[in-house]
Amino acid sequence: MLEVDNIRAGYGAINVLWDVSLSAAAGQMTTIIGPNGAGKTTLLRSIMGLLPLTQGDIRLHGRSIRGTAPWDMSGLGVAMIPEGRMIFKDMTIEENLLMGAFPKQHRAAARQKCEQAYAMFPCLQERWNLLAGMLSGGESQMLAMARGLMSDPELLIIDEPSLGLAPVVVNELFGVLGRLKAEGRTIILVEQNTQKAVGVADQVHLMQSGKIALSQPAAEVSLEHLHDLYFAH
Amino acid sequence: MLELILQALFSGVLQGGSYALIALGLALVFGTMKVINLAHGELVLLAAYIAYTVESSLGVNPVFAIPLALLIVCAAAVLVYFLVDLIRQDRELNSLLLTYGIAIILTNAIQLIWSADIRSTGSAWFQEPVVIGPLYSMRSELVFFVVSLALMTGLWWWLSRSWYGRAVRAVSSQRDAAKLMGVNPRKTELVSFIVASILASFAGVALFSYGVIQPSYGHVLTVKAFIITVLAGMGSIPGVLVGALLLGVTEALTVTLASSALQELAGMCLFLLVLFVMPNGLFGAAGRRG
Repeated sequence: MLEVDNIRAGYGAINVLWDVSLSAAAGQMTTIIGPNGAGKTTLLRSIMGLLPLTQGDIRLHGRSIRGTAPWDMSGLGVAMIPEGRMIFKDMTIEENLLMGAFPKQHRAAARQKCEQAYAMFPCLQERWNLLAGMLSGGESQMLAMARGLMSDPELLIIDEPSLGLAPVVVNELFGVLGRLKAEGRTIILVEQNTQKAVGVADQVHLMQSGKIALSQPAAEVSLEHLHDLYFAH
Repeated sequence: MLELILQALFSGVLQGGSYALIALGLALVFGTMKVINLAHGELVLLAAYIAYTVESSLGVNPVFAIPLALLIVCAAAVLVYFLVDLIRQDRELNSLLLTYGIAIILTNAIQLIWSADIRSTGSAWFQEPVVIGPLYSMRSELVFFVVSLALMTGLWWWLSRSWYGRAVRAVSSQRDAAKLMGVNPRKTELVSFIVASILASFAGVALFSYGVIQPSYGHVLTVKAFIITVLAGMGSIPGVLVGALLLGVTEALTVTLASSALQELAGMCLFLLVLFVMPNGLFGAAGRRG
């Protein structure tokens, strides 16, 4: 469904991604793992158009989306749940959700989607009118997930959802990821929690120093081998 | 004495309505664009002079100048937006220089067109006194106070209930996340500029209808709006209203109890005092952005 073809991107004069290629198949969970600073978030930002490519191409359903503005991505059926949640703290929970349905084609179904979100994340329903800045880290992540689902995306890109969360919340989170996968959504997941990430994945990519160091189906991944590669640097 | 103080409080509150409109415009643009538009007061003054021209040349009530003021002030604001948008580096800092320069140009243009004379309304209907119990006001003050409240209610509705208003708040809160939600931030910036100039147009016509205007007044208005925005703690509509009323009342009390020469000084003292006691502004503590 999504093909990243030999891309380079970075921040100003500093190049971060070196000839990265990977693909995400429809209905599968593609997981990208790797240490801090490997370029995982940069890769996702490049896919979403938040960073310009200096080389290569990104294709969605075979059509190039290079140079597409981030605000046009949700029209193409792609949504990203960014690192650090990036919820709108000065807005209420429901207003946050409604922002997820901002593109015109999603507005009509926004109310119905809110109800679905509340059904999936009951902790949000009780406090629909509370400012999102008052939520705990786990609840913020759930809100960010619910907001990302408001446009009913075909491809969901999730960046480090477990970052800074308590173990019990991380378990809950991976439960949600499992359910999303069971719904048949195509997901690209970036995670630091290697063991859990590999557990839910179909395809695993390991990134190191801006390159893909390993690409394997999750069933064939040996965690020991992965850890050797991880720490070899 | 008590009557004098009550009267000053009343006049201050009425004056605060227009101040709030001006400050909300400044805060809105700062929110989406992180740009302090130092030419904002001049845009307000431009509307005031358009009201003067319409009244003196057509002999009608200054409120009839509002459509023309809206047109010209919005056009001027769009021009300012596109000039600010040309800045490629360090926009937050460089825009201060740019908008300050635009403010000087506008002040001088106003002086060139309308001369440096002090102007005020000649409308008898507007200057008619309205007496409520022991309190006295001009009809124009009451009319425009109600108009200000109506506009603020409208703005509140727009920001909290409409898709585009919420997008403006989303961009102010988390720019990158707003982009991911499908919001083009440049469009919301332009929209916030236009909404700010709509508020400025009404405020300008109001100021002309109950006060005196002169070319140098634009700069004074920008400073007042800035004080109110900081008092409110950036980004809170009720906060801006309270800040504006506080400034209006402080100024009115100073004029009544001391001297009109100290009016601006009193505003500055209030500003320093509030920042000293509450560095985040009156309503800023909860809403600080990290």
